[in-house]
Amino acid sequence: MKKFSQMAIPYIVWSILMLVLPMALIAFYSVTQPGNSIISFSVTLEHYVKFFTDADFLIILWRSLWIAFKTTIICLLIGYPVAYYISHCQERVQNILVFCITMPMWINMLVRTYAWIGLLSQDGLIQRLLKMLGLGNTELLYTEGAVLLGMVYNFIPFMILQINTTLCKMDDSLLEAAADLGADSIQAFGRVTLPLSIPGVVNGITLVFLPAVSSFFIPKLLGGGKYFLIGNVIENQFITVGEWNFGSAISMIIAVIMMLLMMCVHKAEARNQGGKEEA
Amino acid sequence: MKKRKRPVLKALMALMIVFFYLPIIYMIVFSFNEGKSLTVFTGLSLRWYQHMLETGGMLEALYTTFSVAVIASFISTVVGTFTAIGLSKSKKLIRDLMEQVDNLPMMNPEIVTAIGLMLLFITFRVEKGYITMLLAHIAFCIPYVILSVMPKIRSLDPDLADAAMDLGATPWQALMKVIIPQIMPGIVSGGLIAFTMSVDDFIISYFVTGGGVKNLSIMVYTMSRRINPSINAASTLMIGIITIVLLIINVGPLFAAKRQKREKERKKILLPAALAAVCAAGCIVFVRFGDMQEKRPFEGEILHIYNWGEYTGENIIGDFEEDTGAKVILENYDSNEQMYIKVANGESYDILVPSDYMIQRLILEEYLQKLDHTKLTCMDKLTDAVKGLSYDPENAYSIPYFWGTVGIVYDKNKVDVESLEQEGFNIFLNEKYQGDIYLYDSERDSFMMALKALGYSMNTEDAKELDEAYEWLVRCVETMEPEIVTDEIIDNMAQGRRALGLMYSGDAAYVMAENENMGFYLPKTGTNLWSDAMVIPKNAKNPELAHAFINFASDYEGAYDNSSYVGYTSANQEVMDVLSGPGGDFEGISAYIPRTDCEFDEVFVYNEKTRKEISNMWSRVKIVASNANPSKH
Repeated sequence: MKKFSQMAIPYIVWSILMLVLPMALIAFYSVTQPGNSIISFSVTLEHYVKFFTDADFLIILWRSLWIAFKTTIICLLIGYPVAYYISHCQERVQNILVFCITMPMWINMLVRTYAWIGLLSQDGLIQRLLKMLGLGNTELLYTEGAVLLGMVYNFIPFMILQINTTLCKMDDSLLEAAADLGADSIQAFGRVTLPLSIPGVVNGITLVFLPAVSSFFIPKLLGGGKYFLIGNVIENQFITVGEWNFGSAISMIIAVIMMLLMMCVHKAEARNQGGKEEA
Repeated sequence: MKKRKRPVLKALMALMIVFFYLPIIYMIVFSFNEGKSLTVFTGLSLRWYQHMLETGGMLEALYTTFSVAVIASFISTVVGTFTAIGLSKSKKLIRDLMEQVDNLPMMNPEIVTAIGLMLLFITFRVEKGYITMLLAHIAFCIPYVILSVMPKIRSLDPDLADAAMDLGATPWQALMKVIIPQIMPGIVSGGLIAFTMSVDDFIISYFVTGGGVKNLSIMVYTMSRRINPSINAASTLMIGIITIVLLIINVGPLFAAKRQKREKERKKILLPAALAAVCAAGCIVFVRFGDMQEKRPFEGEILHIYNWGEYTGENIIGDFEEDTGAKVILENYDSNEQMYIKVANGESYDILVPSDYMIQRLILEEYLQKLDHTKLTCMDKLTDAVKGLSYDPENAYSIPYFWGTVGIVYDKNKVDVESLEQEGFNIFLNEKYQGDIYLYDSERDSFMMALKALGYSMNTEDAKELDEAYEWLVRCVETMEPEIVTDEIIDNMAQGRRALGLMYSGDAAYVMAENENMGFYLPKTGTNLWSDAMVIPKNAKNPELAHAFINFASDYEGAYDNSSYVGYTSANQEVMDVLSGPGGDFEGISAYIPRTDCEFDEVFVYNEKTRKEISNMWSRVKIVASNANPSKH
């Protein structure tokens, strides 16, 4: 079968070039100074020091993690019941509903976010509705709420689809067995359905949290010019300030943080599963 | 098991569907709006579709979006499939290692992947454009294909290929006739995921593109500052195409199933996939064809313009193309600094329209070429106030385009002129207007405002004065709850949403023309007398054509179209007179004619040291602002 295994070689070369090398370049830029070349450079940790000794950057990092956390929780709280509902429909309806949720993902995410501007802007549909309901004249666009909404809107389909997939794979006879053994539906859900859907939940959390932390166009479009998240700081360094080395350092920091977080989540999941099997 | 009704869940599901589709439907509806508003529907019209077709760039953006998606998903499906098969027969070590590598784009925040690829292309001096965008898309699509094909291969009997070869098949035949058909569902779904990822992408495309190549999302992002309903029109078109593709994919199998009930499983999947490919190809041909019709027979040469967003008239580009047969590629920036970074990184343009101090910097750092004045016919038509300014005393490098001042736009019902007269720019510290002001997100003009408020020169090099200005701005953002905005200030002030805003005179002219309650005030302590001028970079590919464009844009018709549409003051004396004279678009609007008689008004001078300082301090001010007041809730 040697012949077949050779088919992977072109891609191994390609992925070193297009996936590994870029990361190496970010790492390289993050520890060098502007004007350094690959041939002659001096290593410095200055950019990292600059980031970690500055309260304002740390606040922004914290805020980015916090809003991503809130987004994830909201997506989970809304997404789980929706996925649960879908998985309990007839197969035909299931397919239609899954299609309805996937469909917006085919429309570009920036376009989808842009679509909210008109709805949220002053005198827009939502504000007029709120006024009619007597909820006063609250500003909606360019607030943290708008950013949160934009994130939930963009990322919740990932959560629903992931959870739905695991729920659909579940063997219904397990629930029947639970019922036979005298469990009521709440107990059956808590003891059977929920634990079995954990892998989907974990994947969903990953797929929501990851893009939410580093998003920069959602805060820019819906949060206005002064709602800064870590993604905006990175974009700024590359597009307007021109300090690529510092920008690379921030990118490295956020990549490492995410990697650590993801490792923790998967470790926790693995331990959880392991524990279950032993019990 | 009998299912009980779950009314709560059902309602939640329904709400979810509304939540998903409301913005999309809203956008589709407003793409047919007659007026410019995104909130009030005034009547049905196809105006914005027409506008979209006329501006050209949008169809190209749609074409880029779909052609990149089709090509990238096709290549990554083929490569991903073969790689997955190859990996499944490789040593475990290699397989595990590759799995980790493949995880990189999926486990990394997108912006990190994007920046890595951007640095890669720049380090290896690959010119950024369509090809780099395509390569990047292929790079992030392949892992998804592998991920989707791998499980299908694992569930295959490993001896299947051997069995086929024992029966006399060549390895290639075994692969194509036995293995591939078995894993077809995985391949198809991998291809679909790749297509979705590619169509959905913005972040990676945004960082790796160049040379004016834009997909729809980049277009929307750079245009979203100002209300422009043709964005809705282009998006609706995209939604239309996607819906057709999806319907074919999803409804196709139903028909196929009806017609050939006994057909094998794989054909069911092959057919819609083929249909989808044909349809996508059809879309490309359609857009391409539409594109071809636009081209004129004598065309050929390309003019690459890098200008501010929303800074050209409605007809000037089209007229110029018609007159010369050239094709214009217009790329937009929203700050001098953004433009500079691209130019300094070696991107080639034929025309730039930087501001005064930036022109000085570009001259100093030898990025510009001298204009050939024998080819220029426009010098006599320019108004005296913009000729021979300090940044380019002989106009050897630059021909002014627009000019003006920076001042305070105020709501006459909320702010009286006396307090403006008394306080000047310090009115931005007056707590009476707390939460009712807009600052403009420009490092230069914000520091100009602060320095002028403190009575200093805006070109000061004195560290103490700059520190004071920084403190002034920090005080402003900490106590006044300002919104720091860019061009969205224009529509918002025209709607009277804030009492005060720092604005360019040209935008102020537009605001005043839209809303008569708005006034424009220039503090007596002086302000920034700016001009933006056309220059030709050294690495321009077509300086001849660039000269022709400079003449065209400075002539009466071109300059009139620019100024009347954009609202900024023309550098052409006659256009200025006509537009501000009786019956002109800006008759009686003070902001249109810049002040030229205040001794404290200055032109920005480029200074590398203060530039860096101001740039850093302004990004600090914004960070302080976002931390001081992150939320209104």
